[in-house]
Amino acid sequence: MTNGTQGGPEILENLKLELRRGCLIVAVLAQLRTEQYGYTLRKALADDGLVIDEGTLYPLLRRLETQGLLVSQWREEDKRNKRFYRLSPAGEQILSQLLEEWQNINSSLSKIVEEAPL
Amino acid sequence: MSKTSSSDPMELIDRYLQAVAFWLPKSQQQDIIAELSEDLHSQIEEKKIGLGRALNETEIEVVLKQRGRPVLVANRYLPQRSLIGPVLLPIYWFVIKVVALCYLLPWVLAWIGMMSFSSSYRAQHTSAGWLGAIGSAWSAWWFTTFIALGAVTILFAALEHVQAKSGFLENWNPRKLPPARNPNQIPRAGSVIEVVVNLMFGVWWIDVMSSPVILDRPEIRIVLSPVWRYFFWGFLLLALINAVVAGVNLARPCWTVVRASIRLATNGAASALFCWMLNAGALAQITGGGLSAARALEVTNAVNVGLAKTLPVVLATGVVIALLDARRIFRVKSAVPVQLKGKVSAAVV
Repeated sequence: MTNGTQGGPEILENLKLELRRGCLIVAVLAQLRTEQYGYTLRKALADDGLVIDEGTLYPLLRRLETQGLLVSQWREEDKRNKRFYRLSPAGEQILSQLLEEWQNINSSLSKIVEEAPL
Repeated sequence: MSKTSSSDPMELIDRYLQAVAFWLPKSQQQDIIAELSEDLHSQIEEKKIGLGRALNETEIEVVLKQRGRPVLVANRYLPQRSLIGPVLLPIYWFVIKVVALCYLLPWVLAWIGMMSFSSSYRAQHTSAGWLGAIGSAWSAWWFTTFIALGAVTILFAALEHVQAKSGFLENWNPRKLPPARNPNQIPRAGSVIEVVVNLMFGVWWIDVMSSPVILDRPEIRIVLSPVWRYFFWGFLLLALINAVVAGVNLARPCWTVVRASIRLATNGAASALFCWMLNAGALAQITGGGLSAARALEVTNAVNVGLAKTLPVVLATGVVIALLDARRIFRVKSAVPVQLKGKVSAAVV
């Protein structure tokens, strides 16, 4: 006998997190084709429906910068020092490859879901 | 006013940032804290514009609580490290189980055995009473456990370190994996040994143990009590049944529910018979060797009492064997067809 929906919401949350993890990187890279600092980036992503908490965003930005996909610069704006991020040339290349991969996954998934509708 | 409240609500942010900084590596502290501080101030600034006034201490507290505990916030900036990684973790748990089963459990059983059967050991360890003996054994057991598990953990942490650098566990060959095994398959060699051993036992049993006088020499004579005939026939019958079952297993080497049940019944009967024999005072008389009648009776009684004292060990062994046999029946019953060598090997039930 299976335990049915026991732990269902928790499982769903974990699966959603896993699903989002890879997408967030693509979204952040895509958003940083235009230079932004952390807070406005977070707001822009949230406005487009992709809420990301700062505890996830800032470590992700640092990691992407360490990998050479982003470049950053501290600059003063509105009397406050802010760190501005933008996509590096290497990041642009990776982003286009990731978008292509995402399109492939998306079309495969659509085909699979169409073949076996819920 | 609480101890932690301050006159300037914004001071809470400084305290929060200081607590986060504590957990960060020195080389990145300043950079991360500056960015985190900027983000917090941006958020508070936005809220301030929305409310049309400065945030009070409670509202700032809510913002900081939403951010999470300082140690968790800092942890997200740190590289994900583990003492024992996912590659070694299953092997680590396996070794821990082996250590618990082959070292810690025997330790407990040996202690129980010594306390039960060795009067000198018992006297030596119960000088402070039984509770004191259990207490000192408990602390000694914890110390042993701590050392054993600690040593295994340190070894695996070192292996993890080496594995992370060299990736030696990535080099593996599917050809070196153990052959696929059906747990319900009976090894033919085992069945052959079982047939031979049971038949040899039967012959020896009839030859030596059929008479109540099992040793009759000028210097010593050992006589068994009349109740022995039950044990003689009982053990002989069980040996024959076991030989037959092993013979069938040899011809059809896969456990079935019937054969596994017969094995449970014979092992259960053997254990029960053995326990009865130990408790029945099966030895009637030992004479000879210049023993006086009184001394011979004393020796006979001592042997019978000694045999009876081993009853708990035999009983425990019998229970373990019965559980293993019962597990075999359950395994055979719940077996599902297994895909082996490209063919479906259906479980015989």
